[in-house]
Amino acid sequence: MTFSVLMQSIISGILVGGVYALIGIGLTIIFGVMRVINFAHGDIMMVGMYMTYFLFTLFGIDPFLSVLITMPLMFLFGALLQKVFINRILGTLPQNQILLTIGLGLIMSNTAMLAFTSDYKILTTSYSSSSFNIAGISISEPLLISFLITAAITVGLYWFLLKTDTGQAIRATAQDREAAQLMGINVKWMSILSFGIGSAMAGTAGALISPTYYIFPQVGSAFTLKAFVITVLGGMGSIVGATLGGIIIGLVESVAAVTISSDWKDVVVFSIFLLVLLVKPSGLMGKSRM
Amino acid sequence: MIPTNPLHSQRGASAVQVSLGMAVIAALFAFPQFVESPYVLHMMILFFLSTLMGQSWNIIGGYTGQYSVGHAAYFGTGAYSTMILLTTKEIAPWYGMWVGIAASVVLALIIGSICFRLRGPYFVLASIAVAEIVRGTALNLTDLTKGAEGILLTDMPAFKIGQTVITDFSSKVPYYYIALVLALMIIAVTWLVQNSKLGYYFQAIREDQDAAHSLGINLTFWKNSALVISAAFTSLAGSFYAIFVKFIDPSTVLPLDLSVQIVLISIIGGIGTIFGPVIGSLVLVPLSEALRSNAIAQGLINSGLVSEESGIGIFLKEHLAHAHVLIYGILVVVVILFMPDGVLGYFRKMTAKKKRGEA
Amino acid sequence: MAILEIKHVSKFFGGLAANSDVSFEMSEGMIMGLIGPNGAGKTTLFNCITGYYPPSKGEVIFDGRRMNGLQPDAVCKLGMARTWQKVRPLAKMTVVDNVMVGALCRTNSLKKARELAMEQVRVVRLDHRADFLAGGLPIGERKKLEVARVLATQPKLLLLDEVMGGLNPAESEEIIRLILDIRKLGITQMVIEHDMKAIMRISDRIVVLNSGEKLAEGEPQEIVSNPDVIAAYLGSE
Repeated sequence: MTFSVLMQSIISGILVGGVYALIGIGLTIIFGVMRVINFAHGDIMMVGMYMTYFLFTLFGIDPFLSVLITMPLMFLFGALLQKVFINRILGTLPQNQILLTIGLGLIMSNTAMLAFTSDYKILTTSYSSSSFNIAGISISEPLLISFLITAAITVGLYWFLLKTDTGQAIRATAQDREAAQLMGINVKWMSILSFGIGSAMAGTAGALISPTYYIFPQVGSAFTLKAFVITVLGGMGSIVGATLGGIIIGLVESVAAVTISSDWKDVVVFSIFLLVLLVKPSGLMGKSRM
Repeated sequence: MIPTNPLHSQRGASAVQVSLGMAVIAALFAFPQFVESPYVLHMMILFFLSTLMGQSWNIIGGYTGQYSVGHAAYFGTGAYSTMILLTTKEIAPWYGMWVGIAASVVLALIIGSICFRLRGPYFVLASIAVAEIVRGTALNLTDLTKGAEGILLTDMPAFKIGQTVITDFSSKVPYYYIALVLALMIIAVTWLVQNSKLGYYFQAIREDQDAAHSLGINLTFWKNSALVISAAFTSLAGSFYAIFVKFIDPSTVLPLDLSVQIVLISIIGGIGTIFGPVIGSLVLVPLSEALRSNAIAQGLINSGLVSEESGIGIFLKEHLAHAHVLIYGILVVVVILFMPDGVLGYFRKMTAKKKRGEA
Repeated sequence: MAILEIKHVSKFFGGLAANSDVSFEMSEGMIMGLIGPNGAGKTTLFNCITGYYPPSKGEVIFDGRRMNGLQPDAVCKLGMARTWQKVRPLAKMTVVDNVMVGALCRTNSLKKARELAMEQVRVVRLDHRADFLAGGLPIGERKKLEVARVLATQPKLLLLDEVMGGLNPAESEEIIRLILDIRKLGITQMVIEHDMKAIMRISDRIVVLNSGEKLAEGEPQEIVSNPDVIAAYLGSE
C-alpha cells in the first residue's frame, strides 16, 4: 500500500465521516433531550433517501439542492412521530422505548418495501462519479460537496443551540429536564422540537449520501447501528462528541478497508464500539450516566 | 386494593390445570396420527420453534430483565456448528448440536463478562454489537462458513438405534416430534427456574439490581447463569432450524432482524411468564405466515373487499408477502403503547377489572 | 469485642471529600446512631461500609475481618446488611417473595426460605400483606418490608438508612419499637436518622458527622450538650 492510497482513504474517510456526524448529531440530540435511544434513526434516514430519490427522478431536483425541501419535511415527520408515539412512552422502562422505536423502524422499512419494492435504486447525477485531483490524490466530487453542506449545517446547528433562546432552552432541557420545567421551559415542546431536528439531520444525511449510495428499504438498520457507535463513541448527548465520533468512524472504516479488508470493516467498527463501552462508557466527550 | 402477584397463582397449579396441561400435551403427541397435511405440520413446527426461541430469551430478558437484542448470535452459532459438522465431517446433528451448545455457552460467557458490566440501554447496544461482530465474522470466514453463499444440506443422515432405522427424516413427522419435545423441554426448564432459587434471584435482579446486590446476590454470577441457560436453548433452536430448513446463511440465522423477532415473541405474549412466549408464538406465527403465503391478500380479494383486477389487488398480491415483517412492527407498537404487559397481561388485567366490577 | 471498626475511612469523589478520616467502633448488640446535617456523608459512609464504594483510604473491619474491596453480596453473606434511604421494593414480586429473596442468602430450599420469610414478615407485622405486590404498598409498609427483607438475610449487623423518613408519628413509633425488638434478637444496629427525638431514645451511642468528618461521638446526653454539635446544627438550619 502506497502513501497516496493511505492519504486518499484518510481524506475520503473524513468526507464520509462528515455525513456520519450528521446522523450521529441527530441521534444524540434526541437522546440528550428525551433519554430515548432512537432505533428508528436509520429508517428515518432511509425516508430522507427515498424523498430525495423521488424529488430527483420525478421533478429533476438536484439531490444537494433538494436538502432545502427534505430538511423541513423530515423535521415535520420527526415532530409528528414524537407527538403521536414517542411522547407516550417517555419515562417508562428504557426497554419499552427501545422496542417502540424498533417497531416504528420496522413499519417504515417495510412500508417502503411495500410501496417501492426491495429493489436497489441508484440516483445517478452528472457528477456522481466525477472527481478531481489534488497532488495525486483523487477526491470524489459528490463526497466533497456533501461534506461542505454537512459542515454548513453543523455550524448552523451549533449557532442555533448556543445563540438562540430556543436552542438554549433545548440544551437546558437536555441538562436537567425537571429543572428546565421549573424554569418555565415548555419541555414537551422542546421534545417535539428535538425529535424534529434529529429527524431532519438524519433525513438530510440521507439526502446527501443518496448520489453515492444504493437506496433500498433496509438501508436504515446499518446506519442505525453506525449512529449508535458514533454517539456512544462521542458520549451520549454530546453534540461535539457526535461530530468527532462521526469523523473518527468514517476514518476507521475507510482506513480499515485499505489496511485490513473492506469485508472486515464492520467487525472492526463494532469491536471498537464494544471497547469504548467497556473502557469509557461515557464516551470521548460525555459525562458518565452509568 | 392492591393486586396480588399474577405469578403467584401459577406457583401451585391446580389439579384442573395439571390435567388440562396433560390433555393438551397428549393431544399434541397424537396430532400427526390424525393430521397428515405437511403444511399444517410445518406450521406447528414453526410454532414450536418460535416457542423455544421466545422462551429461551424470556429467561434472560423476561425473568432477569437483561434485554439482549443479540440472541441471533446464539441461534446462528447453533445453526452453523451443526451444519458445518454435518456437511464437512459427517457428524450427525444430534451430536453436532452439543458442539453448538458448548460454543454458544462459551460465547455467552464471553459476552456476559463484557456486557453485564453495562446496564439498561448500554447493555442493549452492547448485545447488538456482539451479534453484529459474530455475523460479520461468519460472513467473512468463508473457508468455514462459505460466507454469504450459505450452507446447503443435501444428505440428512437417518437416525438409528443399533441397526434399526428409527427415522430417515423423509417426512415432517420426525421434525414435528423433535420440535414438540424441545418446546416442552424449554417450558419445563422455565417452570423449574421459576420455582427455584434461580427464579427468585433472576426476578430480584430484574426488579432492582442494587437491592438484589445488597441481599447477597452475586450479580455477575446469576446474570451469567441466566444467559447461559438462555443461550444453550437458543443454540438448540438454531441447530434444529438448520436441519429443518436445510439451508443457512448469515442473513437468515444471524441478522439483527432475527434478534428483534426473538425479543418480540415474549414481549407480545407477556414477558416473565411461562405462557407469554407460547401466546406470542400463537399470535405471531400464523400472522406472519398468512402474510408470507399471501393468504391475507387473497383473503381480501376473495371477500370482495379488494378487486383482483384493481391496481390495489394486483399490488397487494405482488408485494404484501415481501413485507411480512411489517406485522411485527405494527404489533410491537400496539403492544408497547396499549398493552405494556403483553397480550397475556392485558387479558389478565381485563378479567381482573371485570371481577372487581361484579363484586 | 468490637463487631465493627471504622479506621480512618475517607472517600473522595473527584477532588471532593465525602468522608474524611472517619473512625469509630461498635460493640456487639448496641445501637449506634449516625446523625449529621444533609450532605454530611452519612449515606456515603454506609456505602463504604457495605461495599458499594471502596473507601479511598482507611479500613472497615467487621467481625475481625477486613472488608475493603468486598462486593455488597459478599458483605451481606458475611452478616452485614443495609436498607436504603429511598426504599427499593422488588415491585412486581409479593411481600413474602421479597423477603424470601433475602432468606435465600442462607438457604437453597424455597420451602425453608418461605418459612424464614414468613417469620420475618410477622416480626415487622406485615403478615396481612404477605401476598400483596410490593410495588403497591404505602410508604410505611414499604419501610417495614425493607427491614423484614434484610432481617431474613440473618445479619449480625444491620445498617438502617433513614427507616423513619417520610413516616407519620404513629408509623415512626412502630419502627422505633421494631428497632428495639431487633436489638432484643441480639442484632447490632447502626441507624441513620433525622428525627432527633427518636435517635436519642433508641441509641446507645451517637456519632455526628459534619462535612464528611466526625464531629463528635458519645452517649446521647453528651451529644445534645456538645457545643460543636449545636453549632453545626444551628449553622445548617
